[in-house]
Amino acid sequence: MAKEVSKVVKLQVKGGAANPSPPVGPALGAAGVNIMEFCKQFNARTQDKAGKVLPVAITVYKDKSFDFVIKTPPAAVQILEAIKLKGGSGEPNRKKVGTITWDQIRLIAEDKMPDLNAFTVESAMKMVAGTARSMGVNVKGGNAPA
Amino acid sequence: MENNTTDQIYVEYDFTVTPQLPWNDVLMAQLGEVGFESFIETETGIKAYVLKTTDAATILDTVDIMNNDLCDIAFAKAEIPPTNWNAEWEKNFNPITVNNRCEVRAPFHQASGVEYDIVIEPKMSFGTGHHQTTHMMIEHLLNENVENLEVLDMGSGTGVLGILAQMRGAVKVDAIDIDTWCYENALENVKRNKTDKVAVILGGAEQLEGKSYDFIIANINRNILLQDIPVYAKSLKKGGTILFSGFYEEDLVHIKNKCMESGIVYDSHLKKDNWIAAKMIKS
Repeated sequence: MAKEVSKVVKLQVKGGAANPSPPVGPALGAAGVNIMEFCKQFNARTQDKAGKVLPVAITVYKDKSFDFVIKTPPAAVQILEAIKLKGGSGEPNRKKVGTITWDQIRLIAEDKMPDLNAFTVESAMKMVAGTARSMGVNVKGGNAPA
Repeated sequence: MENNTTDQIYVEYDFTVTPQLPWNDVLMAQLGEVGFESFIETETGIKAYVLKTTDAATILDTVDIMNNDLCDIAFAKAEIPPTNWNAEWEKNFNPITVNNRCEVRAPFHQASGVEYDIVIEPKMSFGTGHHQTTHMMIEHLLNENVENLEVLDMGSGTGVLGILAQMRGAVKVDAIDIDTWCYENALENVKRNKTDKVAVILGGAEQLEGKSYDFIIANINRNILLQDIPVYAKSLKKGGTILFSGFYEEDLVHIKNKCMESGIVYDSHLKKDNWIAAKMIKS
């Protein structure tokens, strides 16, 4: 049965740690959604990614029901994780503080394909590599896209 | 009513990020690592939320991107007073009846005359019977004999399961929750249902030190259960029953295995829309 959408809420919440405080509470509460229900579901679905910041898109329907899609972490987050670096470089163009291989870039690109505006893995890889460079991370080694 | 939830005040940081790509994502990633919990993108950057008790002002100095010369970041911050964000849903929900024997309803609903009539005003706490896990835990409790037993309700939320345990004959119930809203709310609900054998306690598994129970109820989530099962096992008397919920079917195997390590044996489970409520027994 088709349901009328009341609004779509996009948030970033740590896996396993949704609670009814802001921004979840105000974003869903005003629409009459049972926030506790959302938190229980989101947390149960993200136990394997506990503590990781995850983008979530929640569709709220006019009848106050909802469903949601959890996306994989943003490319920037995955790049930081791949190079095991707590932060990017303070001076990205002058002082490269980390290196990521094209193989690691490929894994992130494949993971983010559904969210990126790219038709091929190769073009997705170039986008992810661009993000890495702008964060002060060197891209070298492994199999570069043609 | 006086509310004691000041330790759960959140601070909203409204960051203006220029340029936004990829720095919004980097900022969220880095803030996430130092205690910020959740984020929402705005026209000009992001809003980030952190507990007031976290020393965010000091933390921000350690966040790399704040000193990055490739992007400009400015912020304004504001405290968000404790608010019941779930009030809209709570003022107008439907009562829930389980097996025609137990009804969970709000004060504004008429009593329907079932055997166990529980009145809950949830105030942003979990446990109204609407969720599959609460529903199945109520089913379990209706089938179990808890007469004259000492019961622990871990992660008690509104207190609904502990309240039902007393109605079913338990002589003593400890209802423990780590969330201040839940603690305050369970106190109110226990009073409202005149179930004076339910003691509401604020805290986590550390509260179980030196205590023992005949029967344990824990509707929480997989990771917390896996972490605390050894503690529950220690607090459960030999032959005692423990009910677990708050996880999906695919996680049942992990719960079973962890229980085995602690001498707790799987008995049976209920399933509703992929959610599980399992019964285990200490051998």
